Amino acid sequence: MSEIPLPQIAKRVAPWWLLRHETMLALILFVALIILGALNNRFLTLDNLLNQGRLTTEVGLIALPMTFIIITGGIDLSVGSIVGLCAILLGYSWKTFGFPLPLAIAFTLVVGATAGFFNGVGITRLRVPPLIMTIATLALYRGLAEGISQARSVRGYPEWFYFIGQSDLFGVPAQLWLLLIAIVVAGIALDRTTFGRTLYAIGNNETAARFSGLPVDRAKLIIYTLSGLMAGLSAVVLVSRVTTTRSDMGIGYELDVIATVVLGGTSIFGGVGTIWGTVVGLAMIQLLKNGLALTGVKGDATIVVIGTVLILSTLVASLLQRRRGV
Amino acid sequence: MANDQALRETAAPPRLSVYNIEKSFPGVNALTGVSFNVAKGEVHALLGENGAGKSTLIKIVSGVFPPDRGEVIVDGKPVNLARPDDARRAGIATIYQELLLFPELTVAENVFMGHAPRAGLGRLDWRAMREKTRHLLAALEIHDLHADRVVGSLSVGNRQRVEILRALSQDARILIMDEPTAALTEYDVTRLFDIVRKLKARGVAVIYISHRLDEIFAIADRVTVLRDGAHIATKRVADTAAAELVQLMVGRKIESLFPKITLPIGGPVLEVKDLERRPLTKRISLTVRAGEIVGLAGLVGSGRSELAQTIFGVTPAEGGEIKIRGQAVYIRSPAQARTLGIAYVPEDRGTQGLVRPMTVRENFSLAALGKVAFGGFIDRAAERKLASDGVKCFAVKTSSLEQIAGKLSGGNQQKIVLGKWLANKPKLLILDEPTRGIDVGAKAEIHRLMGELAAQGLAILMISSELPEVLGMSDRVLVMREGRIVAEFLREDATQETVGAAMMGSHESAEKVA
Repeated sequence: MSEIPLPQIAKRVAPWWLLRHETMLALILFVALIILGALNNRFLTLDNLLNQGRLTTEVGLIALPMTFIIITGGIDLSVGSIVGLCAILLGYSWKTFGFPLPLAIAFTLVVGATAGFFNGVGITRLRVPPLIMTIATLALYRGLAEGISQARSVRGYPEWFYFIGQSDLFGVPAQLWLLLIAIVVAGIALDRTTFGRTLYAIGNNETAARFSGLPVDRAKLIIYTLSGLMAGLSAVVLVSRVTTTRSDMGIGYELDVIATVVLGGTSIFGGVGTIWGTVVGLAMIQLLKNGLALTGVKGDATIVVIGTVLILSTLVASLLQRRRGV
Repeated sequence: MANDQALRETAAPPRLSVYNIEKSFPGVNALTGVSFNVAKGEVHALLGENGAGKSTLIKIVSGVFPPDRGEVIVDGKPVNLARPDDARRAGIATIYQELLLFPELTVAENVFMGHAPRAGLGRLDWRAMREKTRHLLAALEIHDLHADRVVGSLSVGNRQRVEILRALSQDARILIMDEPTAALTEYDVTRLFDIVRKLKARGVAVIYISHRLDEIFAIADRVTVLRDGAHIATKRVADTAAAELVQLMVGRKIESLFPKITLPIGGPVLEVKDLERRPLTKRISLTVRAGEIVGLAGLVGSGRSELAQTIFGVTPAEGGEIKIRGQAVYIRSPAQARTLGIAYVPEDRGTQGLVRPMTVRENFSLAALGKVAFGGFIDRAAERKLASDGVKCFAVKTSSLEQIAGKLSGGNQQKIVLGKWLANKPKLLILDEPTRGIDVGAKAEIHRLMGELAAQGLAILMISSELPEVLGMSDRVLVMREGRIVAEFLREDATQETVGAAMMGSHESAEKVA
């Protein structure tokens, strides 16, 4: 009897896509939206939702490369400090060096990428664990930012610069277009390219990835550089939105970004995760914050709720994993 | 079936008997009504191909998961083994292939981890712990292992002894050993057998799992063969022969274990001259030609894998020369080695060869992503085709291309690792222990494949610790010792004795080095 091969497809309790972390999260998000919308009539308005998109773009831009990094089993804690450093250098190079603003923006992006590249070199060449390397540069880049700024802020940018952070394009906040394009590019890169496959292979088994001839070090160098670059871009958007530069900009961003990515179902141990999940995670955190604030929940309580949601989603994820028997 | 007769053979209630065990996982029936028993002081071997259900059976007996149906009976009393702790209390101890020890702690601490003797107020009684460890060591006549040694500094063989001591310290009356010799040297195997015999004398029932038939004949009293989750036969070892066991196991006759075909040999594919990479690659020179299988023999630690990994660019050479098809190259990374047409099937399938949590499809395309991608974008249809061709060509037993690769049996995993490299159409194939820990059927298949690949003009360098395999498959045999090549034999001159002597480094062979 046992010699006859059994039908190989097991009966499932639910279709696979329903059991996915991202889908569960999207469902929870949907329910939360309806509840918060019912509690407050200003919440579920197009204006409010678009405005929330505007506010979350800076974190979202960094969350995309962070998804890549966490999928490889790494981490980048220095992103908040890179935002601060880049913001300062944007103002400094424009005001003090007298760079024309477009050049200053380009310079800022180069600085961000360089800061990320430096992380990548430490991690791939010197084999410093990502946690240690980026904790060191978290301090280093913030220190540089404070040293350069000398606690002075820069304001008074030309009017056109505020377009990025404050205006609408086809009825949607300008920076949200930037984020949408970045999401699509990152999503395709992760899901469809050899680069994306390499990231998953690294996260699941770095040695085997290396032994299979995959460019492990190059891929890591790219994602950390990308992380710095996006932090630089995020700094530009942030400065444009708030019209000023200060050295304490971006403090704590790393935690928001990592919470977003992990809430979106990316495993902190590497190997698992999607851009789609990160996007849902991003929406979830921002809309919860906003919805709770509108409903009259105080700021401290909001953080407690978000922490709870993070723990619950992790629980759900591990339950799902056990079910799949991984 | 012979089964029932074997069950009745022992008059007293057997120490352990399992009766009609059934277990199924989603999509697979892992066990379909398996029964067998072990008497006091008996060594009972479990034999079967990978995926036959041995591991499932063991996990049930050691309480890792419960059976769907059936009973486990210890000393005539049914026991409920819901958790590993229940098994421990029933006197069942299991020694897994991966030893579960704490490398930073001492032998005594490891032995008594979790059940250390106490000295009032919950303090540990260190004196008693050491004393008891010494008693256990003495009981097994182990004189070269000290209770205060840190486990991390011990050899694999000694670590295994620590696990055995640990089992005894818990008064285990049933000891399950899962492929205990897989990572042992020959000397350690002999010592392990001594210990197993002593355990027998103490009345411990031993369930012994191994792929190596010679071991079963050396140590076991009875043997139970499983195939596809079903009990096939239980035999007295004295009444059976290797050929019969293989046939029971595989369910068909295996014509020959080493189907060696002699082929015309072409020009040199790999030429290595004075290759250096300290500490274990010292002035190595060798040549592998198209269509030739060169066996690389040597003891564990003689530097064979290190040599392979230097050629493959994992640890780039510090000196010397590598030529691929006449062209001098300097190989800095596996990626570069791959573009040069070198494939390396590593020794450690689980950590170096396979990305276990990824699917069969993703593993198959891993080393050949360039072949199925255009401008960096993976063509999913092409990838699926590559994988399904591989599955067909290598007869990989998998439920689908989307199956998680780590869930397949060892033999099937090895076929994937081999297959993913062949998708690249390499010129040189380096195989590092290609059949370690896989069953006879899969082994024969891999040997057959090696022959076919050589016939297609591939140059093969095969590292193996199994002498019969080296002698059976190779056109030429190189022997490594302490990082150097110390002997070279043509196929007709290579025998168990000559190669073995060169490996060990006895005098006569040293003179043979040209």
